[in-house]
Amino acid sequence: MEEITLRLKEPGSIPIEADSINPDLFLERSREEVEKLPVYYGRRKLALGDLFEVEGGNSASVVVEGELEQVKKIGWKMRQGRILVRGNPGMHLGAYMSGGEIVVEGNAGDWLGAHMRGGTIRVKGNAGHQVGAGYRGERQGVKGGTIVVEGNAGNEVGLLMRRGLIAVGGDVGDFTGGAMIAGSIVTFGKVGIRTGAGMKRGSIVLLGDPEPELLPTFYYDCRYRPVFLGFYLRHLRSLGLPVQDEHITGYYLRHNGDITSLGKGEILIYSKAEHPL
Amino acid sequence: MLRIANGEVYDPTNGVNGEVRDVWVEGGRIVAPPQSERERDEAQVIDASGGVVMAGGVEIHSHVVGAKVNSGRKFRPEDHRDHERVRTAITRSGAGYTTPTTFMTGYMYAEMGYTTVMEAATAPLVARHSHEELDDTPMVDKGMLVTMANNHFVMRKLAEGRRDEARDYVAWLLDVTKGYGVKMVNPGGVENWKWHENVGELDDAVIGFDVTPRKIIVGLAEAAQELGLPHPIHLHTINLGSNGNYRTTIETMEAVEGRQLHICHIQFFSYKGQRGQVMRSGAQEVAEAVNRHPNVTVDVGQVLFGPVTTMTSDGPLEYKLHMLTGNKWLNDDMEAEGGGGIVPMQYKAGNIANATQWAIGLELFLLINDPWRVYLTTDHPNGGPFFMYPHLIHMLMDRGFRAEQLSKINARAAQRSILSQLDREYSLYEIAILTRAGTARRLGLVNKGHLGVGADADITIYNKALDDIEGMFGRPRYVLKGGQVVVRDGRIVQVVQGRTLVVKAHWDRSILEQARAHFEHYYTISFDNYAVQDEYLHETQIIRAGGC
Repeated sequence: MEEITLRLKEPGSIPIEADSINPDLFLERSREEVEKLPVYYGRRKLALGDLFEVEGGNSASVVVEGELEQVKKIGWKMRQGRILVRGNPGMHLGAYMSGGEIVVEGNAGDWLGAHMRGGTIRVKGNAGHQVGAGYRGERQGVKGGTIVVEGNAGNEVGLLMRRGLIAVGGDVGDFTGGAMIAGSIVTFGKVGIRTGAGMKRGSIVLLGDPEPELLPTFYYDCRYRPVFLGFYLRHLRSLGLPVQDEHITGYYLRHNGDITSLGKGEILIYSKAEHPL
Repeated sequence: MLRIANGEVYDPTNGVNGEVRDVWVEGGRIVAPPQSERERDEAQVIDASGGVVMAGGVEIHSHVVGAKVNSGRKFRPEDHRDHERVRTAITRSGAGYTTPTTFMTGYMYAEMGYTTVMEAATAPLVARHSHEELDDTPMVDKGMLVTMANNHFVMRKLAEGRRDEARDYVAWLLDVTKGYGVKMVNPGGVENWKWHENVGELDDAVIGFDVTPRKIIVGLAEAAQELGLPHPIHLHTINLGSNGNYRTTIETMEAVEGRQLHICHIQFFSYKGQRGQVMRSGAQEVAEAVNRHPNVTVDVGQVLFGPVTTMTSDGPLEYKLHMLTGNKWLNDDMEAEGGGGIVPMQYKAGNIANATQWAIGLELFLLINDPWRVYLTTDHPNGGPFFMYPHLIHMLMDRGFRAEQLSKINARAAQRSILSQLDREYSLYEIAILTRAGTARRLGLVNKGHLGVGADADITIYNKALDDIEGMFGRPRYVLKGGQVVVRDGRIVQVVQGRTLVVKAHWDRSILEQARAHFEHYYTISFDNYAVQDEYLHETQIIRAGGC
């Protein structure tokens, strides 16, 4: 299948809302028709062809190139296909997506994969704040799918998450898994403060931070080897994350919380040293 | 000159019941029909044929502005999401469902044909904030009731038997807050809540003060009467939401011994039943008591199913709701003046308690005989949002629709209720009393709620459509504010600021010295910074109380 390539003509400071960059819409459109799709340039409604050079048509495989920092909502609500982003896309990349794949070769902005329902997002660089979070005022955030960030991520990773998997290869900021309802978050670097604040259920796995600053509303349960984690980690290794054999065979300290909420969530901390039982 | 031609006019204050006649407007007021042919011919005409002409609606109890409402807005981002209004060439944007932003509140009231709104409760300490928000609530004339029932100074003076000084302080508070009337919330109970207690009887002690709820109610009822305030005490009495509270509600009516009294959202005070069980309706007993006491008026505070944000100065009640629902809770202390709280909730038709509350409200509407003494409210946003009034009016006017709604609620609640036996249907004339004539009269707004000569030209013209009552009351054909067309076919066509209604009563200057000493001891704000400056008022109508 031929690819469609979109190249941003001129970088600028004016935000572009490009929710029409969506394989669902491109699959049955020729190049000319793709160029006519609407896009907001600030408050002005333009056509995709006004801002992007378009090559190819009738394909669900899309490549977006250029200085994309101001280009928001790429892959908004996409259900199928593939978007490869060569650059650093703006906010809301892949928000509400329910299928397909997005690969980012640079750094992603805030609200990456917000309210995601299915599919996969992979970021080779860093991501901004609110990775896989729920928008303000919503009761539930991500309901499925996988987000892999190989670099670092900001605050509020997986806020209000309901289901799905988020893995961050580097460090994360504060409020990771805040108000989480269910789902899994795996981090390989340091975490900020208030991890899991208000979480009801779900698992937050810390592989790279042996002594995180946990809230007093999490209490220590036990040191054990969670069986499910082995499967998860092998899967993450296949996605290119730095999972070591010790992570799979090792022991974890389980902390239970957040007891100000339902209290059925857990924070699993990889414990390297032999723990005196 | 403006002629509103050929409408069916419902003006209960002047005894006009559905007569087809013209209403004449000039200079923002209603005037007598002109004598000369020429003036008649030259008048601009608004066609009201096939329509119903009423005065603009007058809201007597609604929480729309101030610190508490704003906390509710900030506290509930989920209430804003997906409830946005985009700005137009003339209106501003806004958001919120149960707690809309100020501008949106004004627009929505006007779009429903309401032109006057009374904010139900503001603590004196935060009156400045309330005025800022009133200023940002366009389209309507507005005022606010000021909470005084748990005010330390008032309670101390009542304990000392210095009713004259308590009265002066009340008048002074109204003056410095630029308020409209005296609101009382759970007298003594809010003070006791500061000690994790409440009051359950009118003669319970208030901790730290030698007073009782009865003493506070009687003392302030007397003060309001002596001051000649246009609106009597506006009382949220004790035991709101508790089973068995119908008894203390009736006792409250008796306690004032014939003095004027308005009890707000009485639905929440009309429960029978044992503690720990689902409440039963005390509507019959309470309605009978209201019928017996000509000095007492009530607004109902109907519960409507859907999301609400409960907010009240009744701190202990909100704690109870929080413990009951597990929902998020905000508690507030107003240093020497009271307290408050907020808890978001959801009323569900399938829930036996909520369905019972819903039925009790309707029973009260139908059992209180005199429409001049019962007013249409949902205690917005506690019982339901105000923009659902057309739905409520539909239930009152249409027995069949009411029966249909009754069949959808929790079956046990429906079985227990006598609602199915109540055949009464409100007429348009009576609805006009419930929503404007009665409320305006009770608020002492002599130029509002009617269409007599000299009244403010706040006029609503509805399409007469008795087969679509909700559409009729939800989308008026025209709304006029001060003689100007502001709404056409349910949409804003012109934005007006509306006036702030302020009551001034006489107080003796000797109270100032005592008040200053009180502030130095007990307040975090200095006495000189307390009064709301005149700059906070813009378009204002000052109403002088009796002896002033």
